[in-house]
Amino acid sequence: MELPPSPSVTVERSSARWLAAVLALAVAALCAVGAFIVWVDPFQQYHLASRYPPRFYFLHHRYINPGLARNQAYDTIVSGSSIMENTRNDFVALACGGSAVNLSMPAMSASEQRLMIETAFANRPLKRVIAVLDFNEFAGSVDERQDVAGPLPRYLYDHDPFNDLPYLLSWDVLVKAWRIVRGDTTERFTSDPNAAWFWGNVVKFGRDKVLRGLDLEHLNARYQQPQRTLSGMRASFEHNLLPILRRHPETEFDLVWPPYSILVWVDFAQRDQLDVTFAFKRYVFKVTRALSNVRIVDLQPDASVTHDLDRYDDIYHFDPAVNELIIEATCRGTWNVDDASVNEFERQLREQIALVSTPSGLKALTGQRRPP
Amino acid sequence: MLFNSYDYLIYFLPLALAAFFLLGRVRAGLAVGALVAASLFFYGWWNPRYLPLIAGSIGFNFAVGSLLRSRPRHAKALLAAGIAANLLLLGVFKYADFAVRNFAAATGLPLALPHIVLPLGISFFTFTQIAYLVDVHRGRATEPSLCNYALFVSFFPHLLAGPILHHSEMMPQFASPSNKRPQPWHIAAGLFLLAIGLVKKVCIADPLAPVVAAGFDHPESLSALTAWLAVLAYTLEIYFDFSGYTDMALGAARMFNIQMPINFDSPYHSTDIREFWRRWHMTLSRFLREYLYIPLGGNRRGEARAALNVLITFLLGGLWHGAAWTFVAWGAMHGVGLVCLRAWERTGMRLPRALAWALTFAFVMVAWVFFRAGSLEGAGAMLRAMAGMNAATERWRDMLAHALAPDAQSPLGVTGAALVAGMLVVGLRRNSNALVRDFRPTWPRGAAVAVALVWSILQLGKVTPFLYFNF
Repeated sequence: MELPPSPSVTVERSSARWLAAVLALAVAALCAVGAFIVWVDPFQQYHLASRYPPRFYFLHHRYINPGLARNQAYDTIVSGSSIMENTRNDFVALACGGSAVNLSMPAMSASEQRLMIETAFANRPLKRVIAVLDFNEFAGSVDERQDVAGPLPRYLYDHDPFNDLPYLLSWDVLVKAWRIVRGDTTERFTSDPNAAWFWGNVVKFGRDKVLRGLDLEHLNARYQQPQRTLSGMRASFEHNLLPILRRHPETEFDLVWPPYSILVWVDFAQRDQLDVTFAFKRYVFKVTRALSNVRIVDLQPDASVTHDLDRYDDIYHFDPAVNELIIEATCRGTWNVDDASVNEFERQLREQIALVSTPSGLKALTGQRRPP
Repeated sequence: MLFNSYDYLIYFLPLALAAFFLLGRVRAGLAVGALVAASLFFYGWWNPRYLPLIAGSIGFNFAVGSLLRSRPRHAKALLAAGIAANLLLLGVFKYADFAVRNFAAATGLPLALPHIVLPLGISFFTFTQIAYLVDVHRGRATEPSLCNYALFVSFFPHLLAGPILHHSEMMPQFASPSNKRPQPWHIAAGLFLLAIGLVKKVCIADPLAPVVAAGFDHPESLSALTAWLAVLAYTLEIYFDFSGYTDMALGAARMFNIQMPINFDSPYHSTDIREFWRRWHMTLSRFLREYLYIPLGGNRRGEARAALNVLITFLLGGLWHGAAWTFVAWGAMHGVGLVCLRAWERTGMRLPRALAWALTFAFVMVAWVFFRAGSLEGAGAMLRAMAGMNAATERWRDMLAHALAPDAQSPLGVTGAALVAGMLVVGLRRNSNALVRDFRPTWPRGAAVAVALVWSILQLGKVTPFLYFNF
């Protein structure tokens, strides 16, 4: 096999000109695209939206949050899964002082929470981190991610401009930038930087909606949540969150156990996940009690919330007023866990679960449904 | 590092070309060394832990090749040991899980799977080196320079997905001092071919992937129409993916003044299975023919033995593609198809060309079901769907829309356009080999290449939001 001989010196010369022109054209076009995207910056990676109203695209948290972490002014962050999206920055600032940004993302894993918090720390010192913990984020391996979360654009979470090409040279981003300039509102987005991921105003909360299509004997049939092990959850916590708590003694960390509806606990009981879950909560308390910068806030025994299904969209997601309640409780310290309350909180919650798990208890909670 | 990545197209390839030609001005050996280093960097980009594996494999086979030349009395034993070691490496990394799983299933023993991660390109660089050892033994190859040999094996355009090279067709090119100087016509032709490959991969194969995945993940929900559509989409996806990748490989090599053998030659134009295998993954077919089928006896020992040799060759060829029974079944189908073809040819009857093409294409499509399905059960479910054995409840228009846009990430127009474009390009008489053979640097062609490069590069950065809507 041989390389075909060059047709002629003339072809070589014209090839050189051709190459120079093609490459110049391609490079110029790509540079123009990159410059335009930097100028509009749809995901606010290089600057906050100022030339045009910001667009917080529906379900684009993983693309936009690192930009907010880099460019917004704040000293407090809220980090959680979709249950914390209905938290307004100004409410956090009002309740806790300082200035805040909500960096929550749906179906968040512990490794993503670590990445998000570390991205914020890499940009500025933080006075306070309110980390709302979901049990499911600790399921699976320490670097586990949920498939539904889509790919994680890691290149947006560092300070290396050379790996930003998937953002700078992306047709999808270019279209978004063009639509911003044109004022085209085809895509779904919000524009309030104070409530970038807020969805509580477009959803109707209520018991009927929570119970619709739910098999009360097999609650997980609808949610398909993974089974968890204590060793797996511990390993994930130790790998993802504990090092951050230790590395930043100057920052106050609030680790918050959120008030899911009591049906979540019934589901845990149905799947033999109760003891694992309580053991994990005890472990988190134990492993952080020596850290003076860490407080644990547990709203899960608060029956006034968890038993009122009208405050929920489904068994996990609560209305925005509960988000405010969480923030207030966190910053006022009303549901703090300490040596005195740790066992009492667990006892209260176990008692509630036992009560609700009975046929009469379930009927009282759910009303129209006939319990097993 | 993938060819269809920003890292490769924007950083790696231009820098590797610059280093090669700049050092080539100083000394040819430096250029070769730079290209070896670049190739190993390219390989290690995925996982540096496997660099010692490929380096060790190169060193071992170079040493065995040298011993084969210097100790002809022990040549047979050395060759056997060399091939055995290569197959052992492949067996451990590629087939250990498969073997243990099947052994456990057969014996009922509760054996733990080793879960060894398959190093990229191991099938390709192992086969390349087995061919080298056989060629040395046959006196067709000799390589005194470790650096040149390392380049032959690791040259990044062919390292991950072929073509599978012969030492004799590459080494004169690597050794040529004139190839160390930039030659604009070759660089332009290489860029032209690379652009074609990139468009094939990014603009046709990739948009079809979600349609294929949706179909093969849930064959039980498909009607006959949508099942055939999913299989057709896969038939196009695998061709444009692999041939696009090969075009990019050949294009990149050409930019370094290296001509690699073509691997695809419009395989879906074939009118029988034999022709298909002369046009599909041609360097693998060549390898299997020269190093397996012919040594087994080929067709020299009667028709029955030839049929057996064909079956053995295709079964092993199927297994080479992946450690699963689905690949074995795919190879078996093609083997049986070829045996039937030989029997048919002996009758002296001939089919009309259009019918022969349709039969061949349909056979290849059905065989791809086994190649793509995750299990034999999955393949069976897809075949049942294709036979119309699932109950279809939707109107055909809705079925078509769902099949073409199975999720929010797959706009109907884009996948539909990719499907139609794929069919049209498959039907073209002149393929990328012909286009690059006649390459001339005209301005319309230049504009097309610039647009293709820019458009394809912009398609690489997909924004895929969170997919779960019903929280």
